[in-house]
Amino acid sequence: MHDALPIVEAEKVCVPAEPEGPALLETRGLCVWAGNRALIRNVNLKIAAKQVFGLIGPSGAGKSTLLKCLNRLIELTPGLRIEGEVLLHGKSIYDRAVDADGLRGRIGILFQQPVVFPKSIYQNVIFGVRHLGVVKQHDWPAVAERALSESALWDEVKDRLKEPASRLSVGQQQRLCLARTLANEPEVILMDEPTSALDPRSAGAIEELILRLKSQRTIVLVTHNIPQARRLADWLACLCVNEGVGEVMETACCDKLLDNPSCQGVVEYLRAGEPEGRG
Amino acid sequence: MCRTTDRVVFVAALGCAVIACGVLLSIVAAIAIRGLPAVSWHFLTEQIRLVGAAGGIFYNLVGTLLLIATAGAISTPLAMGIALTHSYYLPEGRARRNLSLLLYALNGTPSILFGIAGLIIFVKYFGWGKSWLSGGILLGFLILPTVTVSLVERIKVLPGKYIEAAAGLGLTRSQIVSSVVLPQSMSGLITGLLLGLARAAGETAPIMFTATIFAGATFPAGVKESPVLSMPYHIFILCQDSYDPGVSAKVWGTATVLLGLVFLLSLIVLPMRLKVHEEAKNA
Repeated sequence: MHDALPIVEAEKVCVPAEPEGPALLETRGLCVWAGNRALIRNVNLKIAAKQVFGLIGPSGAGKSTLLKCLNRLIELTPGLRIEGEVLLHGKSIYDRAVDADGLRGRIGILFQQPVVFPKSIYQNVIFGVRHLGVVKQHDWPAVAERALSESALWDEVKDRLKEPASRLSVGQQQRLCLARTLANEPEVILMDEPTSALDPRSAGAIEELILRLKSQRTIVLVTHNIPQARRLADWLACLCVNEGVGEVMETACCDKLLDNPSCQGVVEYLRAGEPEGRG
Repeated sequence: MCRTTDRVVFVAALGCAVIACGVLLSIVAAIAIRGLPAVSWHFLTEQIRLVGAAGGIFYNLVGTLLLIATAGAISTPLAMGIALTHSYYLPEGRARRNLSLLLYALNGTPSILFGIAGLIIFVKYFGWGKSWLSGGILLGFLILPTVTVSLVERIKVLPGKYIEAAAGLGLTRSQIVSSVVLPQSMSGLITGLLLGLARAAGETAPIMFTATIFAGATFPAGVKESPVLSMPYHIFILCQDSYDPGVSAKVWGTATVLLGLVFLLSLIVLPMRLKVHEEAKNA
């Protein structure tokens, strides 16, 4: 199927497509600067609610940087400057009145490598909840059970909640991290290549979860794996490096972008990733 | 030629190590051989009699333990505050470097100057006279650089992913500090603290004008005019005027107990240090 990719002239202007319906999360002219060097430039995205929005593109194009802009986690990296706007429900999240920590409670994030704290499984699940203070202490066990069930881990760990989380397999740890995020009841979950450190079976489990979760929540998924993008994403944006800066070359609904890309950069990226489906 | 140089360097390096270990071992042996016969249960539990020629060192042991406990209590919160300021609140760059410089300067300050500062501030200005509290505070400041640097080093190797994950869950900066940074760097704090206390236990200069007397003190009842006895000062005074062989046996005995205390503190740290190294290797 990839053999049939149409070749388009490099000059051709990409017309960004937009998902239907009102955007839950939106970026307008988003740029990230490190000193006077831009890392990503003029990113305009509209992410609709209850969808999986995929971000693909070659390494170094700024996919993770863009992702971390969406919950202001980028601000933890010193020396970066953010320009433009990110809107959640139409309101800028970089507004001075917005509490960045509270925002991160509502927009959860899952990293490439699972990060479990050196505590018990139970303590890991309620790690966010207990500090946010929204849920009362006597409800924590119920929250933990709900979150672990939602991440399909409850049956595996219900009898050993007090064991150190580090004893779980890497795949289980990643689901534990997902449960920890879900315990906060986030509206949006950002995922930064969540399966790339996992074996195929665990990766499959996470993929199933993503498809299940999107009925409730909005997911922004960074992935290197094009078959995975095809399986999971409703909409896709492709970031490519243009003049040394990461730019969104094209956004479209998933199949359109993968089968019929209109932008030369995207065509090249997809072709380079063809042999084993990775970029 | 190259091999010969290599040999020479190897032998020289080995020689240095042997000399250092040899000196340490001979000091320990010299003290233990002379001191161990004097150490007994009575020596540890009886109080000083006949100007040090008889009795034991119970109140000296109590005094030294009280001094180092106070030093620990003083330096722990200060070290935590400084280490967090250094590694977490100050931006990387000049401010951090200056704070480090200040700590190294404090570390290099001769301990007798701590004693003189204590004499001026606590004994004279506060009017405490000789007090265990001034001694404890001075020793606390004396070991502050050791404790702080150890904690800073531990925080430095703390994987950034934990902080990122905690922030990603919506924790505020102070929550991250209290639930991630501090718990995971406790081993650094304890290591630095015990090493510092081992040093503090043997210090004489900071406490001789400010906190300790030779005889006549028991458990301190208050702060003002409440000196304690201590082991290093005991050794210092007895050494100055011991012609009596009975006294000299007591001096060696006291030295052995002090050495044992210091070794014990250092020994407790050992597994923790090994664990930190192991973690650093795996990271």
